[in-house]
Amino acid sequence: MSAIVQSRKMILDRVRAAIQHPGKDLADAAVEYSALPHNYTRRGSLSTAARLQLLIDRLREYDAEVLECNAGELPAVIAAQLAASGRHTFVAPARLPADWLAPGYEWRLDHGLNTAEIEEAEGVVTAASCAVADSGTIVIHHTAAEGRRVLTLLPDWHLCILRASQVVEVLPEYFDRCRQQPNSHSSEEDLSMVTPALATYISGPSATADIEMTRIKGVHGPRFLHVILVREQG
Amino acid sequence: MSRPAATHPVLDPTLAPPFPQAVLPVLRNPQLRKNVAHAIDVIQAKRASLVAEKTDWQELRSAASAIRTHALENLGTYLEQFETRCTAAGGTVHWAADAAQARQIILDLLRQEKASEVIKIKTMTSAEIQLNPFLEANGVHAFETDLAEIILQLGEGEPSHIVVPALHVNRSQVREIFARTMGLKDLSDDPKVLTNAARTYLRKKFLTIPTAISGANFLIAETGGVVVVESEGNGRMCLTLPQTMITLAGIEKVLPRFQDLEVMLQLLARSATGERMNPYTSIWTGVTPGDGPQKFHVVLLDNGRSSILARSKHRQTLKCIRCAACMNTCPVYRQTGGHAYGSVYPGPIGAILTPQLMQMHHAQSLPYASSLCGACYEVCPVKINIPEVLLELRAEVIDQERKQPGRALDPMYWGLRIANVLFSRAWIFHTAQWFGRIGLGLFTRKDGWIHSLPSVGGKWTQTRDLRGLPNQTFHSWWASRGPQSNGVELIGGTK
Repeated sequence: MSAIVQSRKMILDRVRAAIQHPGKDLADAAVEYSALPHNYTRRGSLSTAARLQLLIDRLREYDAEVLECNAGELPAVIAAQLAASGRHTFVAPARLPADWLAPGYEWRLDHGLNTAEIEEAEGVVTAASCAVADSGTIVIHHTAAEGRRVLTLLPDWHLCILRASQVVEVLPEYFDRCRQQPNSHSSEEDLSMVTPALATYISGPSATADIEMTRIKGVHGPRFLHVILVREQG
Repeated sequence: MSRPAATHPVLDPTLAPPFPQAVLPVLRNPQLRKNVAHAIDVIQAKRASLVAEKTDWQELRSAASAIRTHALENLGTYLEQFETRCTAAGGTVHWAADAAQARQIILDLLRQEKASEVIKIKTMTSAEIQLNPFLEANGVHAFETDLAEIILQLGEGEPSHIVVPALHVNRSQVREIFARTMGLKDLSDDPKVLTNAARTYLRKKFLTIPTAISGANFLIAETGGVVVVESEGNGRMCLTLPQTMITLAGIEKVLPRFQDLEVMLQLLARSATGERMNPYTSIWTGVTPGDGPQKFHVVLLDNGRSSILARSKHRQTLKCIRCAACMNTCPVYRQTGGHAYGSVYPGPIGAILTPQLMQMHHAQSLPYASSLCGACYEVCPVKINIPEVLLELRAEVIDQERKQPGRALDPMYWGLRIANVLFSRAWIFHTAQWFGRIGLGLFTRKDGWIHSLPSVGGKWTQTRDLRGLPNQTFHSWWASRGPQSNGVELIGGTK
């Protein structure tokens, strides 16, 4: 045990001795940090329609199936997707909106499901926190409507529902949203998020190119990714 | 079909033969060279097109370079901040001064969990400390879960690339390995079928083995978060299903802030695999009740890194984010593949990282495994000036050789001492030339070329022929033209 305690001190001493100004603390580092160059593209330049179209194109390049609809149509579109999947047993996060749970299927809501119960399910339906059009990335922060990490991992089929207002064009715009503190009187349209303790960024279905650089879809994660993009009303 | 190279590659820098010797089995293995060249051509083409579409690529590189430099210059501060935040979130941070300590810490943690098996996400750092053989010797079997790592583990091969470790193995070789080790006689060599075989093989392990080991792509000081970037989902499986997670990370992996990922993630996927973004990025912070492992340990590894940090020109080596763009673009790596580097870190970054991690006691041939063409610097997403560090290290190797007592026995040493005298006076030089022409004449064949020379001269003719000396030197030709000649005629050309 003491050897390990000594290692901590030894490593930190070595690291500090290696650098010219060992006396610097976090506040000094923060001043230095704020002077670092950030001249890359921090904001997108596309119109809303073009931004959404870019996301759709990128997702389709990954072989994800993408549908668009209005908020009012959403429950019917979800039901149609479930029917088209030919699957019957689905898991869902505990706080998934009730009208997304289309009737006629076996729904296992995650009030502490065990691994076997999730593994047996044929699909999963979740919300998301954000999407980045430029790279076709879906951001999941594992909130109550997005579910625990295991939920979007074991089932082979994932239906993810995104609101158009959640779509940003470039990655730095997502990180800007994360920096904002959420409004205390948070309305439906408040898009700010806290920096997540857990996050998964999904850019297309699980894939490998380890054998002769041939891209194979579906190694361990879900093999089928479906996205419904909900346009805001008005 | 042909098995992997008959001579088993040695990736321990303390035991590996020097690069020029280690490279010979590869150069004599056309299948291996074909596999490597094919894989590299595919990645290179994808990378080039995706980098070209990014109009702010150079600005991203500059930002990334500045962030990594800043993180290293404040490493002590950020490591402590990471430790505080990670601990507050329910994680436990361990510090390992060297490989032996890291192995022991991990083994002790596994013994606490009474683990006899452990699942692993691909981590080059664990290969650096040779963790798997150590665990095996102590009764813990480690199952690799990355497809390439499974191919290597089951085929008893060694990684030859840091992103696509089995790029030197082709589909029929994979088929042979899987058919033999998984008992699947009728397996085809379709990559899809092979991938499926791996999925089935691993599914049960993911669901039943309660302890996992990972590496880390980044540690976030600001939040105490850990980031793992992957494609297959085996990482997510290992990060989500087990009860205990042990992450091994080099101390240099720390980033100051969560937001720094907006730069790093854009650069990493494009540079590494030629994708706009890798399929899965996972971020977790300590322990989250009800979600994922409820025990989380981070082992921070020094193992020579702090000594690299101490030298200002060499420090940039630690900026590396392990994208492998340098090896994909390197004309030397393209011909040799990774095994010749005698380290888990091959290619240009390995040529500077390995000897430094060994504190220049081993791997001294690696700084010479380069043509200094600079392609690696050009593609590096964090702007590591690899040729600059290579030259620094070459100078250090020469300094070491100067101090060696046995150098008086080295013909090269005497050759250079003699050359020093020969070049000092014109008459000595001319006399030497005269003797040299006679001497080399003995080795010159009828075609005017020298194919083989003895002693140190063999270092040249080992890889290329040498043209025999002409009958007349320029000097004597010039003198024979007489005083009437002038430069204009010369430029006009002899008739």
